[in-house]
Amino acid sequence: MPAPQHPPRPQTARPAASAASPASAASPASKGARRTRRPAERQPSLDDPRIMLDRQISSDLYEPIPPYPTRTEREAEFYTLGDGEMFLNVGPHHPATHGVLRLVLKLSGEQIVDVDPVLGYLHRGVEKICENSDYYHVIDQVDPLEYLSSLFQEWPAVLSFEKLMDVEVPRRAEYIRVLSGELLRISSHILYMGFLALDLGGLTPILYGFIERDEIVEMLAALTGARMLFNYFRIGGVNGDLNHEFMSRLGDWMSRAGRQTEANAGLLNENEIFVRRMRGVGTLDRATALSYGVTGGNLRASGVPFDVRRAHPYSIYPELEFNIPTRDEGDSLARYLIRVDEIRESLKIIDQCLHNMPDGPVMAKLPRLLRPRPGRAWGAVEGPRGMLGVYAISDGSDQPFRFRIHDPSFVNLETVTTLLPGHLLADTMAVVASLDPVMGGIDK
Amino acid sequence: MAVVDRGSKGRAAAAKATPAGAKAAGNRQVVAVTPGQLAAPIIVPNTLWQSSNPLAYDGGRPTDVTHLREFGQTDAGRNDAVRWGALQVIPTNADYILDLIRANSLWPLLSGLACCAFEMMSAATSKNDMDRWGMFPFRASPRQADVLIVAGTLTTKMSGPLVRLWEQMPEPKWCVALGDCTVSGGRYKRSYSVVQGIDRVMPVDVYIPGCPPRPEGLIYGMLQLGQLVKDRRGHWNEREIGPTVPDDI
Repeated sequence: MPAPQHPPRPQTARPAASAASPASAASPASKGARRTRRPAERQPSLDDPRIMLDRQISSDLYEPIPPYPTRTEREAEFYTLGDGEMFLNVGPHHPATHGVLRLVLKLSGEQIVDVDPVLGYLHRGVEKICENSDYYHVIDQVDPLEYLSSLFQEWPAVLSFEKLMDVEVPRRAEYIRVLSGELLRISSHILYMGFLALDLGGLTPILYGFIERDEIVEMLAALTGARMLFNYFRIGGVNGDLNHEFMSRLGDWMSRAGRQTEANAGLLNENEIFVRRMRGVGTLDRATALSYGVTGGNLRASGVPFDVRRAHPYSIYPELEFNIPTRDEGDSLARYLIRVDEIRESLKIIDQCLHNMPDGPVMAKLPRLLRPRPGRAWGAVEGPRGMLGVYAISDGSDQPFRFRIHDPSFVNLETVTTLLPGHLLADTMAVVASLDPVMGGIDK
Repeated sequence: MAVVDRGSKGRAAAAKATPAGAKAAGNRQVVAVTPGQLAAPIIVPNTLWQSSNPLAYDGGRPTDVTHLREFGQTDAGRNDAVRWGALQVIPTNADYILDLIRANSLWPLLSGLACCAFEMMSAATSKNDMDRWGMFPFRASPRQADVLIVAGTLTTKMSGPLVRLWEQMPEPKWCVALGDCTVSGGRYKRSYSVVQGIDRVMPVDVYIPGCPPRPEGLIYGMLQLGQLVKDRRGHWNEREIGPTVPDDI
């Protein structure tokens, strides 16, 4: 079957007279003269502020229509406009795409016909860096992936390494991990609520949300030394024991956390504009969610009670009492309400951790240089966005041979291609924000 | 916290025959720059992929001029009218007064790239209220912004759109590099896809190190930027237009 013809590129963005201009005729690099917006009599590219790096991504790349012939059938189908359709480029710099996500929307009027997410604007090559770091340094390198809740990115890494090396983690360390992790889950969900409202045009919830988030990261800073990229978990334990400042801040905050969460949620739950813009928008049914491999709150909002903490228990979660909230609707509102319920469950878990905190060491005894036996291990935890996993392969050296990171945001974001078509343009941000993507993890 | 006063430095460097960086010891060979002769450009060959269209991206040929810095040391580059005439912006005496006003209402562009963006938002919201110094209204359009706060890792793929945003901002404008990644590459010094400091693609006025910096750090850097605007008032045309990578790094 012959591939469809590539549509002719629009010529409007380019000055047509560039070939005839004296500047470009004098210079062999006529493309450089065409890109600048200077008068033709000036010397070419003398005050062009871009350097070589920018050269590889010349201005052609941001246009919705790629400058090359289409390479796949899907690309050919997407970039062929039907009757009355148009392209709209959203991002990579957009206030509501939660980072540097770029969506190319194909619109018919105001209705979305198709969507092509373009990723890679935050690709930092973390997996490769991890494979060139030794086992201790990997924990620091994976932090900025899931930057809103970076402990959940350290956790699967240390979990897989502990399986590789058969390390027994002290119980107090496990309790501290769960305690700090659940605090961070609350912080992430609070920001989720705020940004969801912000993308729909409401400024107030984020102002309230950041009060709680700042308090949580400040108390974690007292525990770990950093506000965002903690580098706190270690292979066989955690970096430091609980201290007085953390405990006093936590006690203060816990005394008002429940009430404050309800108040913050009330701002949105009882807001009719918010509810009507979220209900029935971006409905993800159970079969589709399972076929895509969606995890986390997005899957539980579609009626599947899958939670790694219960399905594949790790750490001390089998000993804790908490519920797995699920909903059947699968729409954006359900995804939001799941997060609110999870905040309540996390508060319960923190309460149990504080009451049952055992005494003892927080680190297992380990050699300075780790050389696990050759083998492979999979560690997965339930993060705020779903299952975060790490598949580590050891070849017996002090560096992992392969360090594969599974990120839930990547899987969850894939569903926008099925969720968005049929909706209006204004619903784009509601759906994308309700999926809660974090671009650091998606692009790795 | 390092505040770069490129106004006086640029003058001094232009007056000398050879820059001071030529004598600096380092692992990289330093090329002595004389007026009229351009330094060897930093060329990053594209070995990752090949376009299916052989004529795309100029067939992989390098550009003729890569750094505006070298151009700034030539006779033509010292002429402000030549450099800024292209932008059709020339400061006047009124800017002595207007810059005092600008220093007290620096409106940043809402541009978050990665982790540091959340500390930037934290600086703007309830607890650390940047609005107290006139810095709050994060503009979503570059046409309305004074300051570009580059918050987060800048990758090669994102550098083009970001430079385009910077060019869309009207003069006078300032740039703040927030976080280690934007200052020098930071923890991604070994990465193949990260720009090793945003001063390789655009001029920077204030560098704020930290991974990520605290919101107070950002506020302090913005206050330093306000002082810089006052110090440099009426002379912002002495700022370089392009990237400002020092020679001796």
